[in-house]
Amino acid sequence: MTNDMMQVLMSTVVLSGPLILAALGGLFSERSGVINIALEGKMLGAACTAVFIGAQTGSPLLSLIGALGAAVIIGLIHAVLTQVYNVDHIISGMGLNASILGATTLFAKTLPQLQTDEAAAIFPSSFFWTMAFVLAGAAALYIARTRGGLHLLAVGNDPDKSRQMGLNPVKIRFKSLAVAGLLCGLSGALIASTSGNFVPNMTDGRGYIALAALILGGWRAIPALLACLLFGFFHALELMLQGQPILGVDLPPELWQSLPYAAALIALALFAGHNKAPAGLGRP
Amino acid sequence: MDDGGDVRSLRTESDGVAAHLDGITKVFGKLTALDQVSFTANRGRIQALVGENGAGKTTLMRVLYGALKPEQGAISLHGNEVQLDSAADGISHHIGMVSQHYAIIPELTCLQNLMLGAEPEAWIKQAECISRADELATKMGFSFDWTAKAETLSPSGAQKLEILKLLWRDAEIMILDEPTAMLSPADSDALFGSLRQLADQGAAIIVVTHRLPEVLDYCDHVTVLRGGKLMADKPVSETNAEELAELIIGHGVDAPVLDEFEPGEILLKVASLTVKGERGDEAVQGADLTLRSGEVVGLAGVDGSGQRELFQAILGLLNPVSGSILLCGADAERVSPSKRIEQGLRLIAEDRHAEGVVDDWSLEANASLGLQRLEPLRSGPWIDRKERADFAQQSTDLFAAKHQGIDKPMSSLSGGNQQRFVAARALLLRPKVILAFQPTRGLDIDGAAQVFSQLRKTCRDENAAALVVSFDLDELIEHTDRIVAMSGGRIQSPPPGEEKSRKIIGELMVEAG
Repeated sequence: MTNDMMQVLMSTVVLSGPLILAALGGLFSERSGVINIALEGKMLGAACTAVFIGAQTGSPLLSLIGALGAAVIIGLIHAVLTQVYNVDHIISGMGLNASILGATTLFAKTLPQLQTDEAAAIFPSSFFWTMAFVLAGAAALYIARTRGGLHLLAVGNDPDKSRQMGLNPVKIRFKSLAVAGLLCGLSGALIASTSGNFVPNMTDGRGYIALAALILGGWRAIPALLACLLFGFFHALELMLQGQPILGVDLPPELWQSLPYAAALIALALFAGHNKAPAGLGRP
Repeated sequence: MDDGGDVRSLRTESDGVAAHLDGITKVFGKLTALDQVSFTANRGRIQALVGENGAGKTTLMRVLYGALKPEQGAISLHGNEVQLDSAADGISHHIGMVSQHYAIIPELTCLQNLMLGAEPEAWIKQAECISRADELATKMGFSFDWTAKAETLSPSGAQKLEILKLLWRDAEIMILDEPTAMLSPADSDALFGSLRQLADQGAAIIVVTHRLPEVLDYCDHVTVLRGGKLMADKPVSETNAEELAELIIGHGVDAPVLDEFEPGEILLKVASLTVKGERGDEAVQGADLTLRSGEVVGLAGVDGSGQRELFQAILGLLNPVSGSILLCGADAERVSPSKRIEQGLRLIAEDRHAEGVVDDWSLEANASLGLQRLEPLRSGPWIDRKERADFAQQSTDLFAAKHQGIDKPMSSLSGGNQQRFVAARALLLRPKVILAFQPTRGLDIDGAAQVFSQLRKTCRDENAAALVVSFDLDELIEHTDRIVAMSGGRIQSPPPGEEKSRKIIGELMVEAG
């Protein structure tokens, strides 16, 4: 039993890694006032690019750079759509997610680099989840203690008043979405690093779970990290319990697989009501 | 200039010019917003800039601040001609502006608001910043909990924070746009005390205002604009209220004569009413209020004293926690808002865009908004289009709102004309109880006087009653029959014989619970 417990705890840390990185990406985006359901798309795009470049060049460094680049580009497209062309933030995010899912699925079926059985050259997962914990602390400090962090909070809460105080909300949001891209890039590369291969839709809705964790954490770095650990724990529990009979009854695997998502839903319903979203979220 | 013995004019004479605008002309499309206007701000002086809406006050100040570039004219600061291309340029030349709607973000802490846009370093040293903030606050006799969220600030606290923001940025020329709009009389006194202190320390202070008593009581010098032209520029000691009013609107104004009347039956009776506000606090606490037919009652109070929640409860939009509302003799509990409208309840909404009109709809469609179930606008399950067109026409005619046809969208009207339309709509169709939240918002002196005179006429002639919220006590004193004060959710009436006493009502306005 203790062995099982240890294993669940270990997997919790490992499984929450992608969630933490993506949630931090969401933190930068949403704190600056841009609703970001495109976390999922950025992660998927980054995972695909990481595997492709890793397989093509054999260089984990280039693979990482490619993953970050892809996610930053997607982030900047979201910025252009929402900030320059005033597209509704949700619609822009949905559009990006759908396009990227389509494109990466197509690539997976057509590009030979994505079809080999050999694992592509990507940094080991431990590198990424160490980054996840370090960056969560760094993000919390950045927002609470720096000029850049203060500007981020200000434009996210009231872009008009921020403008009056001499800030440039659009510029700050572009920067924030680039940072969100970097963080989602890390998250996507981490997901790709676990197997070294790309499978269509391999992010599996974890971008949305990360968003739920961000909301549950009240748009704050450390509480969001804890929420990610909670969801990671349910994911680990699912993996361990799947296939085991409970009180003599065999539950279908689909029921187990829904556990992390159900947990996210219930946690949001129970606890997120009091959390205050940045007041300028979604405002031009 | 006058060289009289009083302290004010001595100050006026002895200090140097901080900013001078020379022959400024600013054109927006076909409209000449400023026509060859010159303006001087001196160190050590509180300078008033007065004029009606659209006279060009704010435009002139935005030119000085660098936010607008004039077509003609020169700006010199401390004797040197400068080129200001943006608000950032203004800030770097130590010009600071506090706009009427404070640029304070409630979700940030007081310290964060103080520093925003002017942080000393990329890494914020909290302790150092707090000690500098405390130093500035102490200098002004203020005290702040710097780590508290700014949403905890009262309106006067927010105004004080705005002043400290100017000092944090080393502003030497300080522009305040309608600084007392949200303040109680006592807080306004205190504000001008602080401004005087800043002026004595060498700041040049410019106050944009429409409240003449403020100009006469606290300012050294006054500049009057009308229709983009400079009408007068003189020491306050050389002018008086009548002259200023005449300069501002171009003709003399007579104080309205409130005709005698006998209050009739009770139309609205609010008893021990308690209503919870948005944040779950008791925004209205055991309020009592009675309106009788014929009378126009002013509800004085600083913004956020519970006026909004009181209105919402009377309208049936918020359920009271306890207490009762009697509307036209019947208990209004569980009576739907539309039923209350049928009983004669009318609203002139505070925020006409959010609550009063639909900007994209025609004037015609907007005319029947909320009144669509009333005869003659209703015709069976349909709306009688002809009646509605007539009604829209009457609504534009009553206060001569300028429009390009009643089939044009509401957004084609200027703000003042929209307000005229909204006010007229509430008065025309058999009103019984009229709730008016800042009914003269965005109107000039003449327009405001017309709205109030029609409001009184409607109440007298049709045996209706009106409750008027205004944050400007002088307006209520001038135009309403009696005044009650709201503070911290409670309503208090001044003692008999003192119904219009500025001093007593001012005290009631700040007496929290």
